[in-house]
Amino acid sequence: MTLELFPLLVNAFWSGLAALGFGILFKIPKRLMLTVFVLGFLAGFIKFYTLQLNWDIAIATFLAALSVGFLAVAFAKRVAKPTVVFMIPAIIPMIPGYFAYQVILNIQKFIFLHQSSTDFTYLNQIFYNGFMTLIILFAISIGVSLPMLILGKDMTKKLKE
Amino acid sequence: MGDKHQALKNGFLLISEIAVLLMQSGANTKRVIDNINRFSSVLGFKSYALISHKSIIITLKTENQSDQHSYTNVIQIPAYKINFYIVSEISRLSWIALEKQWSCKIMQQKIEVIKNQQLYSYALTAFFVSMAGASFAKLFGGDYRSMIISFIATLIGMIVAKQAQKYFLNPYLKTYLASLAASLVASYGIYLHFGDKAHIALATSVLFLVPGVPLINSFNDLYNNHILNGSVRFISGFMTVLFIGLGLITAMILFNTKL
Repeated sequence: MTLELFPLLVNAFWSGLAALGFGILFKIPKRLMLTVFVLGFLAGFIKFYTLQLNWDIAIATFLAALSVGFLAVAFAKRVAKPTVVFMIPAIIPMIPGYFAYQVILNIQKFIFLHQSSTDFTYLNQIFYNGFMTLIILFAISIGVSLPMLILGKDMTKKLKE
Repeated sequence: MGDKHQALKNGFLLISEIAVLLMQSGANTKRVIDNINRFSSVLGFKSYALISHKSIIITLKTENQSDQHSYTNVIQIPAYKINFYIVSEISRLSWIALEKQWSCKIMQQKIEVIKNQQLYSYALTAFFVSMAGASFAKLFGGDYRSMIISFIATLIGMIVAKQAQKYFLNPYLKTYLASLAASLVASYGIYLHFGDKAHIALATSVLFLVPGVPLINSFNDLYNNHILNGSVRFISGFMTVLFIGLGLITAMILFNTKL
């Protein structure tokens, strides 16, 4: 199995750009713009790398969110800024928008295109995409909060010193 | 006696302003409480806070046990407006204030400066958010044409959201209108057959409205045992998602989009 590096880097770049866009929407301090881009880039890189290894998308997202969480705590120690500030913009590109969109699309089809009573394609799609959305959201939130829960107290002590 | 109460009252005015600013700007409940405690210890008071989604109750007490005075009041939280600059600067300020033992007046001035800081111009924000929309189109496997549609749709959605904020007070109505405008533009792209993957732009054009901050904060609050606030944030995030979906469905019905 060969891994293609170039498309991976391209995807990571766009993911970083999306993170930066959301960072600016949420008004992060100007000095953190590069940090947010790098975090978004790394999150995208890890996610698409694990996806190329044919891992499940929920696990890929979890790993990416986990590394964002750890890096955010490390960065927070360095610049003495709260973790949320660069963590949330960096993980927003991973939010399962496409699955959520598929849910809505299929709900619309289910309601307006009358299927025969033996065909459950749309219902199937609604449930599959709906649970995918939930699981990925859960993976993001756990992955990103776990490092803070483990290292959180440590950080406040460090800042006090 | 009068002096003490004046000091308590001034302290309350400062601390309640900080608490409201933090809640509005998207800090989680634990951070708000930590900051309230830090600032009140700088002023030499003990603080107790009850924080809900729309209002905050704070009690300040003097440290002296035998001759204790207290001041309690309620303050309302106006509309939420995410601003991480305020969150980060107030957190930093609390540590510096603790170190240098600032007086109430100095902190008030510093907060005023932080509050009125203009970071990014509206045009810059709109451009970068639209770039984020284009990036999403790429990440979801679109070609450059769907990226262009997504860019324009997000831009129009941003403008509508900005205008709606001026005229409507209800944030969900604002979300609905912005989502409707963005997905109408994207649907028009599909209608014109602009590229084979135009339908991807329809999914990504509304992603700038996704309530990422309430959802992440909700889980954060739940982990920290602020169950009520966590559930409130989750439900408000869920409501936003519902209204985004409603806007999307309206546009699809209007354009009779078949995918």
